[in-house]
Amino acid sequence: MIQNTKCECGHQNPVNTVLCESCGKPLIEDQSMETLEMRYDGAVRRSQRENKTIIDRVWSFFSSVKVAIYLIFFTLCGASLGTIYPQESTFINIDPSTYYPETYGTMGSIYYMLGLSHTYETWWFKLLLIMIGTSLVICSLDRVLPLYRALNKQKIRKHDQFIRRQKVVYTGDIKEIQNEKDAELWVNEFSGILKKKFYRVTTDGRSLLAEKNRFSRWGPYINHIGLIIFLLAVLLRLIVSPWYMEEYISVLDGEIEQIPGTNYYVENERFIVEFYSEDELSEKTVEKGKIIPKLFATEAVLYECVKNCNDPIKDPVLEEVKKHSIQVNEPLEYEGLLIYQMGYEETPILNSVNATLKNRESNEEYGQFILEMDNPKSTYEVGDYQLELIGYYPDFTFINGEAGTKSSKPNTPAFIFSIHGPGMPDKGEINMYFPLPQHKVTYQEDQINIAAGSTLVIDVESMQDVDFSLYTSFLSARKDTILPMIWIGLSISMIGLILGFYWNHRRIWLKFNKNQLLLGAHSNKNWFGLRKEVAQALHKSGIEVEAKSLENEVKDS
Amino acid sequence: MKNNKKWVQYIILILFVVIAGVTLFSGVLSTDEVPEVGNFAPDFSLKGLDGQVYQLSDFEGKPVVVNFWGSFCEPCVREMPAIEDIYNKYQSKDLIILGVNLDEPEVTVQSFVNQVGVTFPILLDKNIVSDQYDVRYYPTTYFIDANGIIMEKKIGEMSESYLIQTVNKLIAVKE
Repeated sequence: MIQNTKCECGHQNPVNTVLCESCGKPLIEDQSMETLEMRYDGAVRRSQRENKTIIDRVWSFFSSVKVAIYLIFFTLCGASLGTIYPQESTFINIDPSTYYPETYGTMGSIYYMLGLSHTYETWWFKLLLIMIGTSLVICSLDRVLPLYRALNKQKIRKHDQFIRRQKVVYTGDIKEIQNEKDAELWVNEFSGILKKKFYRVTTDGRSLLAEKNRFSRWGPYINHIGLIIFLLAVLLRLIVSPWYMEEYISVLDGEIEQIPGTNYYVENERFIVEFYSEDELSEKTVEKGKIIPKLFATEAVLYECVKNCNDPIKDPVLEEVKKHSIQVNEPLEYEGLLIYQMGYEETPILNSVNATLKNRESNEEYGQFILEMDNPKSTYEVGDYQLELIGYYPDFTFINGEAGTKSSKPNTPAFIFSIHGPGMPDKGEINMYFPLPQHKVTYQEDQINIAAGSTLVIDVESMQDVDFSLYTSFLSARKDTILPMIWIGLSISMIGLILGFYWNHRRIWLKFNKNQLLLGAHSNKNWFGLRKEVAQALHKSGIEVEAKSLENEVKDS
Repeated sequence: MKNNKKWVQYIILILFVVIAGVTLFSGVLSTDEVPEVGNFAPDFSLKGLDGQVYQLSDFEGKPVVVNFWGSFCEPCVREMPAIEDIYNKYQSKDLIILGVNLDEPEVTVQSFVNQVGVTFPILLDKNIVSDQYDVRYYPTTYFIDANGIIMEKKIGEMSESYLIQTVNKLIAVKE
């Protein structure tokens, strides 16, 4: 069936148009006098056209607000699933396949198997975000274009029915108006009154169209543009990895660590922690024996590698770029790189000792040397003696009766030196050295060395010669190039919301049929304000009317 | 005019399909970073105990066994003589064995190598390559064929018979 879409004013409208694009006459023939559906000024939306192809069907699917609401609902549900257990990305070093079942039992393993341990990286979550984006763009375009066209070419003279069926209506005869000229004068005078109320008024003989704050109609669409920019930023974060980085680093007191994937190195010069004293805490806490830190900070130095950066042989050349005391909420900032304090752990570990070489009998000192636990040198020159390090066991133990190490951490460091020099045998004198006093006793250092015929002793003079690291500081390094884009998106979205919320688009149509005045008005919100404004304007031109009575009551025809 | 609008419609829909494709595909790629059997072995370059630089891609066209070990790990220590044995037997067949040490002091590594009598190249890693290869348990051994593809990943101690069997399969793969 072909619908006749030609209006009696002669304008050819697209199929499914509600109100004639030109004169505003309702095109759907019903005799009711109900107020008109004024959405998009009755223009037909692209998605409502006939003759749908597959593309058109996809288009109408995404243009539906109902679909958009479902999409948002599913996304919210999905996002909330991700908050049941902590996400994988929040852990520094775990194996998720074992962590979730071990920590949360059967629920944990189901959670992991469903991929919910990385909800926000799953394909379905990303797909939902993209679908929301698509829906936003298509919903907006589908509505904003017809609306723009409709508002841009408004006819001043509207059909009687269009005016009568507005929500705010006034009709009345004005006796003084005898002819067309009088009516035109009246319209001109009324136009002046409306102009004072900041309306943009256009007249066409005895008809008038007054309009203000049209821009507020674009608020929702500006809001959508902002949201689209925001969504794109979120997607870019997922796709373009160099634009978004988050790495966790644990740095021992006094150590330098590279931030993975960058040319930056961070040094933990000193880690400071202060605890609450007992009288600062409640009795309950004290009873539980809890120790609560008041403050913890990493005195950090950020370095940038300038030479030999990825050279496996040469050590990288580092240049200091920034110094900062990192505390919770006080990150180190350098060119978009942010290093935050995440936590700390007490990990007492020996860094180095300033050892002294002495004669076993006379206690005569030959000299000192710094012995590092992390990566000791293979030879040391001490006075006239040359100490060759032939064995180093960071975590000494006996494995099947042989010397071995339990781990690569210097928990029980043990060194075997071959010492050359005056009075030493040609092959060198073997000396075993345990830097920590408790291990000297456990493993009987003296007895072993004496049995081996050693005449020299390696020892530390005092505790000042021992360098310990007490704490490991956990830091996180973030670089977010896309953050400004997110802020821009959110700002645009906010501007859109403000435009839409605080202003409303008001229009007044007026025409004379002989001496009968026909006035209709429309606003997208705040009808009360509109009625008041119309009543005031009418009052100024000599028509007394109650604002309340302007409301169009639904009349049965 | 009408045709024009159709084009806009097509372009917008295609744009979204492209964005969806790129996003989902990149997601698939990123979760695949952990090297698995059948993947190309990620290249690395490390300093050897002998002071030379060893780069995996230098051995293209030859089968390579990469063994991650530490002297603190008992099964690693136990399997070391077997690996050394294989190295001596298969050297004539172009088999390359690289022992990547797990961030131990050089002196410790050197004394261990001297003690056990290891002759194949030992590389010093600062937890970078072991992270790259997702090494969580020790020892872990990757068998990489002449085309640079991971043929086998073994977690745990290897017996000599297992080594012989796997290495035979490995050298049978031609370029």
